[in-house]
Amino acid sequence: MSTLVLDSASRWFGNVVAVNDVSLTIGPGVTGLLGPNGAGKTTLLAMMSGFLAPSSGHVTLDGRPVWRNTEIYRRIGLVPERELSFGYLTGRQFVRANADLHRLPDAAAATERILGVVDMVEPAGRRLDTYSKGMRQRVKIAAALVHDPSVLLLDEPFNGVDPRQRMHLMDLLRRLGDEGRTVLFSSHILEEVERLARHIEVVVSGRHAASGDFGAIRQLMTDRPVQYAVQSSDNRTLAALLMEQVSVRAVALRGDHLDVQVDDLGSFAVGLPELARRHDLTIFELSPSDESLESVFAYLVAR
Amino acid sequence: MPEAPRSGVIHDLGYRRYDGPRDGTATIARTLFVTGLRHAYGLGRSGRSKVMPFLLLGMSLLPAAVVVGFVVLTGLRSLPVSYAAYTNQTQLLVSLFAASQAPVLFSRDLRHRSIVLYLARPLPATVFALVRWASLAVAMWLFTALPTVLLYLGAMLAGLDKSDQTTDALKALVLQAGLAALIAGVTGLISSVSLRRGFAVVGSVMALIVLSGVVTAVQNIASAEGEDPASVGVGLVSPWSLHNGLANAWGAGLDTPAPVDGAWVPAYVLVALLLIGGCLLGLVARFRKVGTR
Amino acid sequence: MNATIAKLALQALLGRRRFFLLLAFPVLLVGLVALVTALTDGEAAFELLPGLGYPLVLPLVAILAASSVLGPEVDDGSIVYLLAKPVNRYAVAFSKWLVALAATLAAGSLPILLAALLTGDAGRAWALFVGAVVAGTAYSALFLAISAVTRHAVIASLMFVLIWESLLGNLFTGIAWLSIGQWGLRVGHELSDQLPDPASLPWAIGASLVVTVVGVWFAGDRLRSFTLRGED
Repeated sequence: MSTLVLDSASRWFGNVVAVNDVSLTIGPGVTGLLGPNGAGKTTLLAMMSGFLAPSSGHVTLDGRPVWRNTEIYRRIGLVPERELSFGYLTGRQFVRANADLHRLPDAAAATERILGVVDMVEPAGRRLDTYSKGMRQRVKIAAALVHDPSVLLLDEPFNGVDPRQRMHLMDLLRRLGDEGRTVLFSSHILEEVERLARHIEVVVSGRHAASGDFGAIRQLMTDRPVQYAVQSSDNRTLAALLMEQVSVRAVALRGDHLDVQVDDLGSFAVGLPELARRHDLTIFELSPSDESLESVFAYLVAR
Repeated sequence: MPEAPRSGVIHDLGYRRYDGPRDGTATIARTLFVTGLRHAYGLGRSGRSKVMPFLLLGMSLLPAAVVVGFVVLTGLRSLPVSYAAYTNQTQLLVSLFAASQAPVLFSRDLRHRSIVLYLARPLPATVFALVRWASLAVAMWLFTALPTVLLYLGAMLAGLDKSDQTTDALKALVLQAGLAALIAGVTGLISSVSLRRGFAVVGSVMALIVLSGVVTAVQNIASAEGEDPASVGVGLVSPWSLHNGLANAWGAGLDTPAPVDGAWVPAYVLVALLLIGGCLLGLVARFRKVGTR
Repeated sequence: MNATIAKLALQALLGRRRFFLLLAFPVLLVGLVALVTALTDGEAAFELLPGLGYPLVLPLVAILAASSVLGPEVDDGSIVYLLAKPVNRYAVAFSKWLVALAATLAAGSLPILLAALLTGDAGRAWALFVGAVVAGTAYSALFLAISAVTRHAVIASLMFVLIWESLLGNLFTGIAWLSIGQWGLRVGHELSDQLPDPASLPWAIGASLVVTVVGVWFAGDRLRSFTLRGED
């Protein structure tokens, strides 16, 4: 169990501020680092993995600074976005070299074990430059995991990986998170983060825009109307009734359900069953339709 | 009553068709040529890419400026070094310029696969290869011609004999054009085959500087042994010794270990032309192969 | 010293075309000297070594070796895979330097010895070899340091050799005091008077040592501060 802490860390290159006063704590489980391209995700990951000194502030792993501290790599596994240029090695040789560099007591066994975990035993005898993108990604993850680290940092791990391989990688990361490891991955694709991580850290143009469970983050944004999808026994009647409510901004009939926009989300959800019973309507379904990460993200980016 | 026929139309809001006049291959080639020439000097690229070409250019101009100052101040009746000999004495700088800038024009498009974007336009791979070569050759020629022009201006300022100086300078410029064509072909071919910049540079340095050193050494040994034909014959091997031999034969004021004369002169010209032609064929074949993939 | 790093560096060096480029130098040098010796005599052939083999082939081999073990990895950033390990950065630099040194000695200094032996006079040959070992050691460390700093390491190193040591070194004798090649020759001079005597011996030894140690240390220090950047 390890915890990675950024304490008001900033990083600037000349007069460009890449990361601006970010404080966050990343504990066990899977965390998604989300932000549009150029938001500073790679810079953040570089600082967390000890490959960039913060211009101000501190980055620590379990209380010890990571910059110029090679000992942290016993507990950190890093999967950079960089392509492997060791094309002349086989997958097995590459993972084995990583194991050797960690001076593992039984490097050969560790290599085989981790190749099994990422499901790369069969192609491990082939040279890296013959691999597909997804295979290279899995070998990179194997190399980062071979010493059984408690923290795994991945920079855009799903870039260019086909959907089936992506599912496979997601399962692997979810499993690692469930084992109690601290897994942090960056992505600019909402769907990926949403499927893998409930806990997100959002960075937008170098600033820490949001942090926590994305449903909870959505709840905090009360100055923006909330969307609900409602399905009832008589949608038209319900729509007319809803329009009388003060908190309701708009109602639209959409096929077999109603799209409802609400200002004040607490009272609407509480009042709806009572309203339906009084007019003898049956509510089949009530669901918030925009609590997807996309809407959270669009909101944070636009602010 | 017949039902009204249902109709619909999907409006094409996509790409607008362009039916106006189009520029031909010649215009594309000219644009590509000018861009390549500018890129060889780092113009239109990042500030850091300008450092190397202009540093080398400055270093090759500096001695010429010193010579001009010297001649003007002391009132010498002739330049202490001939135009062609000056080019030869700066051969390290000229070769380094070619070695460092050839990968800019020939490796990058291939390494980053942006070549397919060029060849997706109506531009044949052959034209692309030749235009790239022309850009580098003209860049090389400018690199060697500028010191010559500076020396010539200095000679005019110092009031040296106008007709002599003009003849010598023009001879030097013609020789430099041939040299530029040779060097651009050789370094271009090396850079288009070896895509890692470092190895392309080392390969070019081998083909220009190391080979020229070897040839000069062997030429000196052969003429010291009294084997003048061997000495002249070895000179056919490297671009620099071809340039020097032809300069010697033409009386451009450059000494070679053994004088190049008689039937050797057409042989030198022929080998130089064959070398240029061979490099161009190689370049064209290389870019055609990449273009079809 | 880290055996895994050294092994990977060796594989990078021997892999594919680089090896043949590296091999071309000694073959060319020994072949040329043998040819000239056979056609004329050893004295004329020996002139090729101080004129061509020593000032040009040796540093070029060193440049190629030093930039092969470090250059491409720094260039494309994949060295991060080696550095994300609990391995001392100076050990990484030292291991890579050892491989570059071995390649420089094998493909640069040793052929110079072989070629010089072909021309006769064994004493002179060994003296030149000692000089080539001293210079090869310092060259490989210097070029490794340059490779750790800039992506244009090959050009920068070539400029040092061709413009500083060769072009300017021939014009101004004082540059011998700041020329790795001349330091090596000075050390070799102690064994054979046929080599020149461009600087003082303690200076030549001391300066070579300083360049070697500082070069490797500096390369390690740059790796310690290695910074990961996004894709360009």
